[in-house]
This record gives sequence, structure tokens and C-alpha cells, in this order.
Amino acid sequence: MVYGWGTITSMARKTPVLKIAGLRKAFGPVVIVDGFNLEVAAGEAVALTGRNGAGKSTVLRCLIGVDRADEGTVEVNGIRASETNPQIRRDVATVIDDLDFFPDLSVVEHLDLLARAHGIPDPDAAVDEVLAEVQLVPQSGQLPGTLSSGQRRRLALATAFVRPRKLLVLDEPEQRLDTEGLAWLADRLVAERDRGLAIVMATHEPLLVEKVATRVVRLGDRGRVIEGSGE
Amino acid sequence: MSKKSRKLIRSGVPAPAAAEPVVVPAQPPRSFYFLPEVEPVSVDEADLHELMKLWRHGRATRTIGQVLSDSYVTLFSVLLVGAMVTSTVINAQDGMTGCTTEACNASRLLLPTAMAFGSFALALGLSRLFGPILASAAEGSWLMAAPISRRRLLRGRLVLPLVAAFVVPLLLTLLVGAMGGMDWWSVAAWSSAAGFGSSALVALAASEQTRERTLLLRILQTLATVGALAIGLMVVAVAGSWLPTQAVAEESALRPAVVVLGAVSLLAMVGLIVATLRRLELIQRARLVSGGSLVSGMQGAMFALDFGLIRDILVERRAMAKGHVRPTKGRGLGITALIWRDAERLRRAPAAFLGLGVSLLVPYAVDALRLSQLNPLISGLALTAALVPFLGSLRVLTRTGGLARSMPFKTTEIRTASMAVPAVLAALWGAAAAPAFVGIASSGADRSVLDGVSVAVITAVAGLFGAVRWVTAGKADYSAPMMATASGALPPTLIFNLFRGIDMVALITAPVILGADPIWSAALAAVVFIGLRGTFNMEEMKAEQEAAQREMAASKAARSEKTRIPPPKR
Repeated sequence: MVYGWGTITSMARKTPVLKIAGLRKAFGPVVIVDGFNLEVAAGEAVALTGRNGAGKSTVLRCLIGVDRADEGTVEVNGIRASETNPQIRRDVATVIDDLDFFPDLSVVEHLDLLARAHGIPDPDAAVDEVLAEVQLVPQSGQLPGTLSSGQRRRLALATAFVRPRKLLVLDEPEQRLDTEGLAWLADRLVAERDRGLAIVMATHEPLLVEKVATRVVRLGDRGRVIEGSGE
Repeated sequence: MSKKSRKLIRSGVPAPAAAEPVVVPAQPPRSFYFLPEVEPVSVDEADLHELMKLWRHGRATRTIGQVLSDSYVTLFSVLLVGAMVTSTVINAQDGMTGCTTEACNASRLLLPTAMAFGSFALALGLSRLFGPILASAAEGSWLMAAPISRRRLLRGRLVLPLVAAFVVPLLLTLLVGAMGGMDWWSVAAWSSAAGFGSSALVALAASEQTRERTLLLRILQTLATVGALAIGLMVVAVAGSWLPTQAVAEESALRPAVVVLGAVSLLAMVGLIVATLRRLELIQRARLVSGGSLVSGMQGAMFALDFGLIRDILVERRAMAKGHVRPTKGRGLGITALIWRDAERLRRAPAAFLGLGVSLLVPYAVDALRLSQLNPLISGLALTAALVPFLGSLRVLTRTGGLARSMPFKTTEIRTASMAVPAVLAALWGAAAAPAFVGIASSGADRSVLDGVSVAVITAVAGLFGAVRWVTAGKADYSAPMMATASGALPPTLIFNLFRGIDMVALITAPVILGADPIWSAALAAVVFIGLRGTFNMEEMKAEQEAAQREMAASKAARSEKTRIPPPKR
């Protein structure tokens, strides 16, 4: 049997980039997530929704290895997810709350450093493009401590887009963005998804859910899926 | 469909039920409160303070027995630390018995002067940082917004900084003067001058705070720092007999001038306090609260004994004050880019070199004072303090995982790369400090050139690793098993935070201090390096092991899937 190009591409897209099986996380006696399963293929965007405390952020933190799961496995491209594994660091771009900045490096220098660290052949061009896209050109020389909270969020998003990635993990990326910024983010994520990137995001923003997500997983108590499918 | 099935379906269909009326939950009636239309009464600030005291009193969480128990622990700790300090002083005095030459004795007489100038610089620096008059964020938003007198509210806030600025320099100068062999009248004169001078400068800073000015304070701080450094250099130069000793030996002639300095400082302090109190009503809230927020942030860090966090707060504050830099392009790709950024930082923050320069004075001064045996430890600690500002990127990359996670390197690679530039600086420091470890004092050399150079290298390495340990130590882990103490359960990391950095310097320099071969120190340094660069990161080791197992399984599967070619049929 001979496969056409379209068939091969669709097969590649069906290969799970992310596979979470039987995830359980508790803080003391309080069980946050129990028996959570999720598979995300390339070109898929999964939105985790649910009320505050449903376990969305905990799932994402276990996914990228910031929190260690009590039970279950998380694999990215067949590799067990570990925060310190260089391969995982290369493949997974994250925007969650623990992103720190060098207090003495300006906005543009942060992006330049990341692009160079990832070996982008023409880092200047990549940085200029992303900086213009997140509308931080006027702030390029500013130190992160002086940015507004919305500008800091834009810089955090820029750090994810200025580097190569196969999986994008976002925890409430809409936070502190203005209406225009939110529209830009939605379009950007749609473009990322259409280029074959796998996206997992926890969000409360209807625009992102409707426009970007190909699948919505609604979490209830203990991170149980009460709507949608993890697989 | 059979008859039976149709019958079953018919029997399963429920009869249409009568529609039930939908019950709409009644909205609870809302009511809104407005203040009565009467003129507010005037409020006394003292009453507000009393009210706050009353609330705090009602929130007491400890019994008198627990407080007494804590006091006992505190007293015991003070006694223990006091015994350690006394022992150190006695050891130092024993060491100074080697200081018999005229040059060495003369140089020691300069130490109280250096201490006084250092106190002035420190008093001004801290005053500029915190205020010196400050108010908490809560006071800023609740009390300052109310129509009350700021003078009455804040006038008591001047007392603590003034008293602290008087007592601390006085005691330190007294201690240094007494240890240096100065006569008691001179010691009293210098100590009083240091105390009153520092207090007067704090009063000046308070006065300038009410006027929102800092230029004069910056100039005075620079002068005091330069003065302290110049006198430190003189200590070394006199001890090394590179400067004549006559001027220092006739130090008692300076005593009247020092007494006059103390008296003028006292008068200036009183005048400035009066001037400050007059203008206190006009003081700006932003300037007051900024110092208060800094103190509360630092208090939080102090509760966890997290000195690194205290430094982070100060660095962040300095960066916010600076606000903007001229961006520079990076160089290289991969891990080289990280190292190049660190090199670029040297140009951006040249002030850190001042600290490094001062730390280079330390081994020479210690040798001049004939404390050669303890020189590696003291100089190593000084170098640790001086190298911390150069390890900014390592600090940020280790305090939270966010940035390190966004870079495609192993933890060991990131840590090693972040140590590269400070390692070069430490190597240069070691080369420049080598003569001090060989021995520069007029009494002659302490070690052979080879031994001196070895000890200098060991000290430089100890200083570097002490600084690396200081910036990379994690926060107190409250989820780990706790230690039972009289003050309650404490995480072990909280206690070890007190000694971080110092432990590495003490460990590495211990063999050379005890007179063993420097090779032992080098071996210990190698072990420390392996630990500090995160070689034994269990997460990474497990991931590498799993990757190897996966590769092995894949190659085994590939071997088993080889197509078996059947033998040709005859």
C-alpha cells in the first residue's frame, strides 16, 4: 500500500505529542486531581476549563514537571516529562505563573538570549518579529521590573514564541491582556495550531475556547472530566 | 418488529404529565448603607495608636510560658554566640602577638578611623535605602489618607534610626580600638565621634527626605566610602613599611580634633532633628511607604532566614529605580550566549568591581595585622561577599524553575556556564592576592612562593564556591521533616540558611588553616564543585537512565523485527 502525502501528514498529526495517564495529585488530605487522562496530538488545541480550584493549573504543573504527580505518567513525544530533561525543555514552551525575569536584562535582551540559547540561526530577525508582534518595541530597552502587568504577560508570551517548540502549555494566557491583545493571542494560537503545534491551555476566556480549542475538557471536583473527552 | 416488542414499547412510554409551574427564586431585598450627613469628629493620633495596640493585644497567640521558653532559647543563643565571639577575639589577640614591629603597631592605630568612616558610609547608605523615616504600606493607605497630623504620627519614628546609628558604630569602633591597642582616651574619642557622626548623618538624611532630595547624601556617602577605602589602603601600606609610621604613631595629637568632630556632630544632629520635625508635616507618603514596604518584604525574608531573598528585593528595587538600559546584542549560540550575557553584565554594573577591589585589600590587611594563619578564611569570606553580585544570572536561574525550563540545557550545563565569568574574576583575584599569602609584612614571608600561590588559589576557589552556594541555596522547605526545637518545629534548611556560603569557605580552607597540604583543600573543592553544579540531580539522572533504557529497548525491538528470509526452495 502506498501512502499519499496527505495521509502521512494526517497520520503524523494523530500521533500523540502529549499523553497523560492516571494522573493523581494531592496536597496532604486534599485530592486535587485523581485519575486524569489526556492525549493531545499535533495540530490539536485542548482547552481545560472548570471553576476555580478544579485542578486545571495543577494538571498543567504536573504536565511540565514543576509539581511531581503522586500517581500516573506524563509523556511528551514518548519521553517521560521531567522539568530538568533538556529534550523536554527543548520541545515544550510554557507560560505559567512561575516565569521569572533577569532584573538587569531589558525586554529585547531576554528574547535575544532565549533565541540564541535555542540556536536560532538569525536571532535578531526572530526577536524583531516577535517583539513587534507583542507590541513591546517601545519597551525594548525597559527592565522587566518597570513593565505593567499586561506588558509582563506579553513578554512571557513572547518568550514562548521566540523559540522552537512542539507543545505549548499555557495557564490562563488571557490574564491581564487587553481586548486587542486577547484577539491577537487567539489568532496567534490558531495559526500555531494550524502549523501542527499541540496546545494545552487552561482558560476561562470564551474567545479562546471557541476560536482556538479543537477539544474542550471541563474539569469538576478532583479534576474529574465532567464534559468533553481526555482522549 | 414483533407484536411482543410493540407491546413492550407501548407499555414503556410514560403518560404525558401535567406541566408544573416553574418556581423562580425570589431575589433577596438589597439595602445600601450611606454615612449619616454629619460632620466627622476630629481624631487624636494617640487614640488611633491605642486602638491598634488593643487589637494586637486581642490577637495574642502565645502564653507567657511559651514566651519565657523562647526568651530562654534566645538567652542561650546569645550566650553561645557571645562565647564564640569572645573566643575569636582572644584568638585574634593571640595572633596579634606577632605584631611587634613599629609599622605593624602603627597600622593598627588606623583601624578605628577606618571603622568611623565605614560607619558614616553605612549610615548614609541605609538611610537612603529605607528613608530613614518610614511607614508601613497599611499605615500609608489607612492612616495617611485620613486628615491627621503627619508630624504627630511620625515624630517617634526618628528615635530608633538615630539610636541605632549612635550605638552600633560606637560599639564597633570601641571593639576595634580596644583590640588594636589604642589608649582608652583615644578609643573613647573615636567611638563617640563615630556614634555622633553617624547619628548626625541619619538626621541629615531625614531632613533631606522631607525635601525629596538625595544629591547631598550621595556626595557624602561617596566621600565616606572613599575615606574608608583610603584608610584601609594606608593600614596595608604602613604595615608593609611602604609609608612612614611617624604620622600614625603621633595619633594622640589628633585626639582634640576628633573630640571636636564628635561635639560638632552632636550639635548638628540636634539642629537637624529640629529642622526635620518642622518639615515633617510636608513629608510625601510615597517616600515613606516605599521604605516601609521594603522593610516588610525584608522582614518576611528574615523570618525564613533567606538572605538571598533580601538581596533579591534590593536588586529588584535598584533595577526599578534604573528603569531603562541601552540594549546590547548577544553573541554566540547555545550555552555561549549565556556566558556572553554574563560578560556583558560586567560592563553594565561596574559598581560590583568596587566590592571586588575592597575584598582584594582584605588579604593584605589581614597579613599586615599578622593574622596570616586565618587569612584564607577571612579573605575567602570577603571574596564570597564580593562575588555574589557577579552571580546574578545563576541566582535567577536557580531561584525559580521558569527561566531554566525555557532553555534547552541540563541543569549542570546552566550552572557551570553561570559560574564561568565569576570564576575568571576569582582567578584574577587569586593572582593579585598571592603576594599577601606569601607575606608582605616587614616581619618577613610566611610561606614559600609556591605555597603562597597555592593558598591564594585555594582561597579564591573557596570564595567562589561560597558565593555559588550562597546564591543557589533553596528556600526553607516546610514540607520536609522538621526538627524539634524549643521554639517549635523548624525545617533543617532554615537553620542551614544561616551558614550557607560560610560553610563552603570554612570546609575548603580548613586544611590550609590547620597546616595540612593544600592538595587536601583542592580535593575538597573538587567534591564541592561536583555538588554545586547539580551533578547529583536525581530527576536528571532518572531521566537519563530512562532514556538509555528506551534506546536499548528500541534497538532490541529493531533486531527482533528483522525480516526472516526463508531458504530458497529446491
